[in-house]
Amino acid sequence: MAALLLPASVGLGVFTIAPALVSAFVAGTDKTLTGPSLHWVGTANFRDALHDPDLAQAVRNTVVYCLITVIPAVVVGLGLALAAERVTRGRALVRLALFLPVSANLVAVAVVFAYIFAADPHALANTVVGWFGISPVDWLGDTSTALPVVALVGAWRLASFVFVVYLAGLTTIPRSVHEAADVDGVRGWARLRRITLPLLAPTTVFVAVFATILTLQTFETVAVLTQGGPLGSSTTIVYYIYETGFTGSFRIGYASMLALLLLVAVVLLGVAGAVVGRWARARAAREVAV
Amino acid sequence: MTIEGESAVIRVQPVSSPASIISTGLRWALLAVGIGGAFLPFWWMLRTAVGPPQSVLGLSSNLIPSEVGFAAFPRAFDAADLGRALVTGAGVSIVITLLQLATAIPAAYAFGCLRFRGRTALFAVVLATLLVPPQITAIPNYVTISALGLADTRAGLVLPFMTNAAGIFLLRQYMSTIPVALLEAARMDGLGIWRTLRAVVLPLSMPAVATVATFSFLLSFNEYLWPLLVARSPDIATPPLALVNLVSASGGFPDFAQLSAAALIVSIPTLVVFILAQRRLAAGITGTGVGAEG
Repeated sequence: MAALLLPASVGLGVFTIAPALVSAFVAGTDKTLTGPSLHWVGTANFRDALHDPDLAQAVRNTVVYCLITVIPAVVVGLGLALAAERVTRGRALVRLALFLPVSANLVAVAVVFAYIFAADPHALANTVVGWFGISPVDWLGDTSTALPVVALVGAWRLASFVFVVYLAGLTTIPRSVHEAADVDGVRGWARLRRITLPLLAPTTVFVAVFATILTLQTFETVAVLTQGGPLGSSTTIVYYIYETGFTGSFRIGYASMLALLLLVAVVLLGVAGAVVGRWARARAAREVAV
Repeated sequence: MTIEGESAVIRVQPVSSPASIISTGLRWALLAVGIGGAFLPFWWMLRTAVGPPQSVLGLSSNLIPSEVGFAAFPRAFDAADLGRALVTGAGVSIVITLLQLATAIPAAYAFGCLRFRGRTALFAVVLATLLVPPQITAIPNYVTISALGLADTRAGLVLPFMTNAAGIFLLRQYMSTIPVALLEAARMDGLGIWRTLRAVVLPLSMPAVATVATFSFLLSFNEYLWPLLVARSPDIATPPLALVNLVSASGGFPDFAQLSAAALIVSIPTLVVFILAQRRLAAGITGTGVGAEG
């Protein structure tokens, strides 16, 4: 028995659990990557975090980033799943095409998006806005557009993930529910609003929470597209942690405190998701029973 | 129950009513936009890579390139040492995938098919590790790997990923649907724990194993943060890293055809694996296994 669990325990123990605990300890010190200093500073890092204007900006950016990534991705992913569910001819191809962004290499995609959103008036994005009479924009070099462009890449991929999950969620709606709706003549929008969406509520809760947790950890796209710039306007929490701990003065102690706070936020989100999810499942179960 | 099985239901619907024609049209319009959006970045990679050379000073946004050539590909291979990067990336990802399967399968079997004290609590710990962001483990892992003398080595790229908690979870869900009677029968036949795993549980769990293997490969091939920290020398750059190095090397005057060719080359392995595996993936994720539970 123990032999079955040993390999996984070593892996998780050494490379996930122990590091998490070590981080929790280091978060209370002034450790840097290169320096020999390792002093217990208590809650100093935490108090620093509360008064760090760069962190405050990163938190604001992250909240905005999550909202403009997750909400469009969920809406689009749901719409596509509903549209694809009843496709019979070419269903495999339709699904394959819509699954593609999930498997994409984010770095490669980010490189292409950087090119699409180049400041050049002939780049694709500027060509398209040009049709509407808008003059060329320096998308990644402007503090008001850099974060939305990064979010667009995030939403592009996330919508595909959401699509996969909703497609699976749709198969859990009992056939009898659809048959009953047919008999009652409930179709179209009414059916979507009164039957399908309420029954999908547990899936929606799961998708929203999981997608938010994934989105909170966005790193590659920021690193490739903007390096957090210009002027920190696209620095997310995770990118800020990377900057703090692995560049500049390599403040590992402070970075660990920030990572710990992020972990707390993720756990709280997960717990909230579990509670709301349980409630949504109970409600959906009642709907089916009625 | 797979997606395919469910959709085989024939629903009674008036086919020709105007409302249903409109809704069918809307559905296909939505799908067309979605599919176009999903393909756009890949198309843009391809058309820029095979199109005429482009620099910052002479961009074009034609959907179809004015002339087609493949000169950018060898240039990309040379400039970013992509051949070496692809070999490194594939090797590292395959080893990671095998290690993850080797650690996850026995654990999933224990959690899904066997009863022992502390099972629920231990499984909860495994699930809890899923919440730990990679950035929190990256710093201590970097210290560990350096202390082991593995910084800037392939082993250092592999080791921290030897276990995949999500893989354990997915496999356990699948294995727990194997009927108890089957496991009982194996025990009656005198099969021990390991032989039951090898002869009964593993063969039945192949769809889930394939799913986990595919995701392990995709995620490790596309991983960026860890190689960025560990692979300092260009010799062991993984494909995403090689691509970013190429971007940085080009400075303010990128050769877009070459960059796009490199991006396409880096994207191809995971796309191919994904396309080959995708039919199984749906079954592995949504299917609840062999038992009656589903």
